[in-house]
Amino acid sequence: MLRFWSGAVLRLVAVMLMASFAGAMLMRIAPGFSSDGQELNSGLSTQSLEAIRRAHLSDANVPRFYAQYLASFVRGDLGTSRSLNQPVKDLLRERLPITLINLAFALAAGWLLGLALAIAAQMWNIPALSLLANGLSGTFISTPAAAMALIFLLLRWPPAFAAALLVFPKIYRYAQNLLQQSSEMPHVLTARAKGAGPWRVLAWHVAPIALPQMIALVGVSISIGIGVLLPIEVVSDVAGIGQLAWHAAQARDLPLLVNLTMVVTFMTVCATLISDVAQRSFVRSDA
Amino acid sequence: MKAVRVVAIAVLALTALTILGAHYLAPAGYEQQFRETPQASPSIHHLLGTDDLGRDRWSRLLYGMRVSLVLAPLAALFTTVLAGVVGGIAGYFGGWTERGCKLLIDLFLSVPWLFLLITVRAVLPLNVSPEASVTVTFALLGLLGWAASARVICAGAKDLMKSEFVWMARASGFSGFKLIRLHLLPNLRGSLLAQFWISIPVFIIAEANLGALGLGVAEPLPSLGSLLRELQDAVMLRPEPWRLLPLAVLIVVISSFQVLLNKQEVRT
Amino acid sequence: MKRLYLFSAMLLLGFVSVFAQGGGELRFCLRSEPKTFNPLLVEDEASETIRYLTGGVLVRVNRISLKAEPNLATSWKVSEGGKRIRFKLREGLKYSDGTPFSASDVAYTMQQLMDPGLHSSTGDAFRSAEGKLVTQVISANEIEINFPAPVANLVNLFDTVAILSATSPQKEMAALGPFYVAERKAGSYIQLKRNPYYWKKDAAGKQLPYLDSIRLDIEQNPEIEAMRYKRGEVHLINTVSPAIFEKLSADNASVRDAGASTDTEQLWFNQVPGSPLPAYKKAWFISTNFRRAVSEAINRSDLARIVYRGHAVPAIGIISPSNRFWFNGSLKPHAYDTSSALRRLQEDGFQLQGDTLKDKAGNVVEFSIATNAGNRARESMATMIQQDLKKIGIKVNVVTLDFNSLLERMTQSYNYEACLLGFQNVELDPNSQMAVWLSSADNHQWNPSQKAPATQWEAEIDKLMRAQAASGDEHKRKQYWDRVQQIAWEQEPFIYLINKDALVAIAPAVKNAEPSVFRPQTFWNVETLALAH
Repeated sequence: MLRFWSGAVLRLVAVMLMASFAGAMLMRIAPGFSSDGQELNSGLSTQSLEAIRRAHLSDANVPRFYAQYLASFVRGDLGTSRSLNQPVKDLLRERLPITLINLAFALAAGWLLGLALAIAAQMWNIPALSLLANGLSGTFISTPAAAMALIFLLLRWPPAFAAALLVFPKIYRYAQNLLQQSSEMPHVLTARAKGAGPWRVLAWHVAPIALPQMIALVGVSISIGIGVLLPIEVVSDVAGIGQLAWHAAQARDLPLLVNLTMVVTFMTVCATLISDVAQRSFVRSDA
Repeated sequence: MKAVRVVAIAVLALTALTILGAHYLAPAGYEQQFRETPQASPSIHHLLGTDDLGRDRWSRLLYGMRVSLVLAPLAALFTTVLAGVVGGIAGYFGGWTERGCKLLIDLFLSVPWLFLLITVRAVLPLNVSPEASVTVTFALLGLLGWAASARVICAGAKDLMKSEFVWMARASGFSGFKLIRLHLLPNLRGSLLAQFWISIPVFIIAEANLGALGLGVAEPLPSLGSLLRELQDAVMLRPEPWRLLPLAVLIVVISSFQVLLNKQEVRT
Repeated sequence: MKRLYLFSAMLLLGFVSVFAQGGGELRFCLRSEPKTFNPLLVEDEASETIRYLTGGVLVRVNRISLKAEPNLATSWKVSEGGKRIRFKLREGLKYSDGTPFSASDVAYTMQQLMDPGLHSSTGDAFRSAEGKLVTQVISANEIEINFPAPVANLVNLFDTVAILSATSPQKEMAALGPFYVAERKAGSYIQLKRNPYYWKKDAAGKQLPYLDSIRLDIEQNPEIEAMRYKRGEVHLINTVSPAIFEKLSADNASVRDAGASTDTEQLWFNQVPGSPLPAYKKAWFISTNFRRAVSEAINRSDLARIVYRGHAVPAIGIISPSNRFWFNGSLKPHAYDTSSALRRLQEDGFQLQGDTLKDKAGNVVEFSIATNAGNRARESMATMIQQDLKKIGIKVNVVTLDFNSLLERMTQSYNYEACLLGFQNVELDPNSQMAVWLSSADNHQWNPSQKAPATQWEAEIDKLMRAQAASGDEHKRKQYWDRVQQIAWEQEPFIYLINKDALVAIAPAVKNAEPSVFRPQTFWNVETLALAH
């Protein structure tokens, strides 16, 4: 157990470091790193423009920047956002809770709806229900997040609802397929033939087969949720980390981007670790 | 349900014919601007009206379908294969291979790939054709979109490795890629098909969003994704029903794919 | 009769008092978080808004008459052609925290502003030459400022200099303007409250501003801003897009077209000799005939009518006709004439073969127009230009790039062919465009930072720009600037496309609003804005 947990922590730290460094390197080599909109300001003198360019290039040596960042990180200093002129710590403190609440709601509601529909479709094999579920999931997965966000704004409903409706089709599709596939296994047919009721068949025979993959799906739900929430936050102007991430990318704000990558990686890897632990609890015994 | 499957097949067949015959069905070129009638309502000359620049919406929808509904499924197939390969290998070998693959998956899920996409655009020549640009875009989406599904596949593969029929197959001499291909992946088709089905509309929409980076389809070539972007206008500015047709087309096509991929073999 | 006069007088007083009625909170949106609250470092629009609303300036330019009006200064005298200026200041003024204001604060502000380490456009505007600024505090309310060299448009430049307190413990947050920053929630809103020590009163002697407070919400999405305006959650929108303008009009919301703004949208070709373009393309782009032909083939009226829904006018030259004094009225709009365009191209050896234009070496004329992604108007204009140039056989590829990538191509790698962007001309004076028209300047977009002028016409422009900067005679400066406009019209290094209108939204509840085409369009007279109750 100790070995597992120490390995897990090592993996978490390793992925956080690698992902944030890789993100920083990608930002550095992508065009526009040292560009600043102020370069088009005809009111600035040549000296001022040069000073602006020098300021941008101060972080150009990514390994050095990263080493300095880690040294500050250990002291609790997350650096200052170049584009917003505010400490990154304050920005995260203000915005992270908003995103976490919206994310939690979106995932919970998305899972509830997706799983409920998948189970219902499986249990009651009613063509109309199946059509409705397929229709709903097809509709919401085809609707751009920006349009959904605007619809919810017009209706004055929370944007997290829109995110939930965009998450549920993915959960539904996986869940429905997995339950479907599991229900086709020979031992399930046998259980039905022996008179087991539908709930019993689902709980005792179908679900255990689908469970490992469903648990893994829970683990990657965080990244699915973040991917859905980011455009919604941008369009709806929700002051969360999704909006901050988009701003950091556009402004090539290295300190902000590195911290945000760390946060997202932490959440993603924690979720996958938790799902790994859960899977270990449900592991099939060796034949 | 059989009737539903027939309808789904018919829809996809009609879509394929429409895509192939776009040149004949479109009353005007997708780039032609009828500048005297921008934002026109549907009429006998323009079945779905015209867009902001006076281009025939019906023609743009036909050509847009051709771009998106050919390239998106190909990209989805690509990403599904990648997910299957990585997840299958991880689940089959287990141990350090599995750990390494999971590390790679977590990295892929966490790294901000936006800057890779910006770099790719910088590397492409400025005068790259719209067709080449959109092909590269979908290829990139396929290359980057496999990670989440690979984890699910890995969990399933790992679980299957402990099943009796896999033990029997191994005892019979199956191993390596043959075992993965013949025994693991077919039993993971639920997840694989889910990945494929989800990827199609996600990639179509993502392609349009990548226009913000200079990737995606370039003017004047339309794509379903670029037509869907106009939904924002439809929601906020001009809620005209005909502007929703690209969304309706995508929903119908995706739902038809869903029905066909979701073949129910066992009935109670 | 007496009763009638009395009754009329009471009615009039009541009328005046309705409009002079104070109180209420004005609400509108900022498109981004202000980057700074230091008025000397303002570069972005959100920070400029805060500066305008809170900063006390010596001189305020009236956005309707464009005349400089006394503000903290009661009078001023410019001498030595703009090298020296003496201000007489109002007495007994205080900052928002009660700190007294005096000439020492002006001296302090100017010294801070002209610090070479500051790097701000506000300070750089005064930097006509190297050398030290000298301030002389003559008395508590009189100060003389000496510049190393004459500064063009000197008086109006003080409209952007918010005077800081040298002694206030609140530093730059102590305000002399009508409002001060009372509350701020990062990423959400900023609330300004009425400055209790503001010096100005209206004609009836009532203390200004009329408003109690202003709430500025951070709202990046213009569609959401419009939705909130319709719902009555905000009172003003300072810049409305044409599409949203039409929507709000259709919904009977109060919107106004204030007329052609000073902003321009233009296209230019890369003429940098060291750029990584093939030699034959460079040859096209440096040819005046080629640029003029492209210009003549672009249907500017269609751009104004379709992209801007009629809320724009075809551009004529460098500056908009709304910049009444400085605009060269003798210039005429470029005609839309594809036949003339083809004739010009033939003069340079281009030939139309079928539907394809080829140069004299047989190269197909094809180039890309790069613009910033996310700007729908520019993307649409580029697409329309693509179709226009197709008529004369030119193949255009529209490339939308994220802004930083585009900037990098424009200013560092020079790896672009043609670029379509717009300029916000905040300053009316031609001196503000020195960094564009001097061939050695960084913002000489088509071929920046030249060691020596590459062409004879650029050399002439250099001479004219330096002459207008050195001259204190406004009419002479106007002559020089007219000639610069003439040359730019003939050579078309920038192919000016349109001047868009200033579209604003002002709720009926807002009284005394008088929108201007000059920034800030809706609240330039904020101290006299009132809310009807």
